[in-house]
Amino acid sequence: MSELRPGLPEPTATQITEGFWQAAAEGRLVIQRCRDCGAHRHSPTAACYRCQSQSWDWDEHSGRGRVFSYTWSHHPVHPGLAHLGVYNVSVIELDDTEGDPVRLVSFVTGVEPGELEIDQAVELHFDRVNDETALPVFRPSRTP
Amino acid sequence: MSEPWLSGRAAIVGIGNTAFGKRGEFAERGTFALAVEAIAKACADAGISPQQVDGWASYSDDAATPAALAPAFGCERVRYAGMAWGGGGAGMGGAFLNASMAVATGQADYVVVHRSICQAGGSRFGQALARSDLSASMPEISFTAPFGQLSAAHMFALASRRHMHRFGTSEEQFAEVSINARLMAANNPVARFRDPISVEDHHASRMIADPLRLLDCCMESDVAGAVVVTSAERARDCARDPVYIAAAAMGAPYRWAMGMMGGGNMSDDDFASAGQRTVAEDLYRQSGLGPDDVDVAMIYDHFTPMVLMGLEDFGFCGKGESGDFVQEGRIRLDGALPVNTHGGNLAEVYAHGITHVHEAVRQLRGCANNQVEDARVSLVVGGSGPTPTSAVMLRSES
Ligand SMILES: [Zn+2]
Repeated sequence: MSELRPGLPEPTATQITEGFWQAAAEGRLVIQRCRDCGAHRHSPTAACYRCQSQSWDWDEHSGRGRVFSYTWSHHPVHPGLAHLGVYNVSVIELDDTEGDPVRLVSFVTGVEPGELEIDQAVELHFDRVNDETALPVFRPSRTP
Repeated sequence: MSEPWLSGRAAIVGIGNTAFGKRGEFAERGTFALAVEAIAKACADAGISPQQVDGWASYSDDAATPAALAPAFGCERVRYAGMAWGGGGAGMGGAFLNASMAVATGQADYVVVHRSICQAGGSRFGQALARSDLSASMPEISFTAPFGQLSAAHMFALASRRHMHRFGTSEEQFAEVSINARLMAANNPVARFRDPISVEDHHASRMIADPLRLLDCCMESDVAGAVVVTSAERARDCARDPVYIAAAAMGAPYRWAMGMMGGGNMSDDDFASAGQRTVAEDLYRQSGLGPDDVDVAMIYDHFTPMVLMGLEDFGFCGKGESGDFVQEGRIRLDGALPVNTHGGNLAEVYAHGITHVHEAVRQLRGCANNQVEDARVSLVVGGSGPTPTSAVMLRSES
């Protein structure tokens, strides 16, 4: 159960995504990186979109990025989520990646409706779900 | 790419639908009974017996399967059965592509394309995503749902916000799509929402997922629709004038993936799109037709901005120009490109695109409520959604 957004579903790991969630539980953001051409990719998958290699590693990322798009959710999908109130879902484009831009769906904490902007700089922190799981989330960047 | 061999070799000869109910209204009848009613009506319209149907094509994992439909009608044999991938109305045109290929290549004589929705039995799309037991068969969802991206409105709001940021598209321009839908529905006696609305009404409707308001969203419905597809040769012997399938296409651009259900790792231009750029290219090439040939268009309108982005994907205006295009009145009945003349998902009924095909057929038969004079070519665009998206081009002449 997310500390910041209780009631939302927990992630489920697969053979390919397990490493991402293990790292997140340890407070690290890792992105898949192709061993052959170096391209980063997300969400995790079995082959490199650029060179088709099936060989890859996890690459730790600083978690610096920018808001690519966002929405403020006003209407709860079901009554059990009404306690969440108005919340944002944001697509974050990570800085300093190789290949096509790398974007994650996440959310930005510490902002009220009207305070989010596209291209706004954000930095990483974690929302603890349980001992095994944490969600990489973001907040407005404190350093320039 | 080879010559467009398929163009004009298949035709629509019958359409049928149930009444249009609000979500849960037909719960006591259920999905399957609705499908049977719509299919029987489509066959009656074509002047054939449902027993003559020997092929089945659907999409969005429709619950009414050939295994149940064929015996229900006493069909002598099943010769073709095909399911198009893609959720919601994304696979609609894919089902028509499957049906066209089946009848044109002689795999089957009469293929029914059908879609039946009766939602009270199952949980809503977003509610399903919000369940704690996320399916391991949908690993992508673990990168979206735990963060609160649960509903279709959330997903398409992200594309809409990006489009506004890049091109200055406005909420007034979104509203025009909804206003147009209600104006069309006012003259459609079976439409669910027939009261005209103003920009002020649109802006006063409650926010669902910023920038999408209630009046930017279609309303879930209980409904079934069916279409009978046969070869151009057989079509000439049916009860109604054939409407020819000039082309049907399915596809997705580079790294479109799950579309807005996924992480948004397509190109920036495709992020702020309906994901149908490549479907449009294929549809135009295979039909030998272009945007200037289209007399009336049915563009999938689960959310108003997706009509704007659909207009861009299909080349009716340049990238980023759709807001001005609609604000200048071009999609109204008296405009250069009347759009969703039945009221669409927004005002007639939300039936995952099958009723958009019905309206295109009525336009080309010359019997639509909001008839476009001399309509000969109609484009029907399937829903923006996970790969593949799709579309159909229909024409009245072979
Ligand atoms: Zn590679």
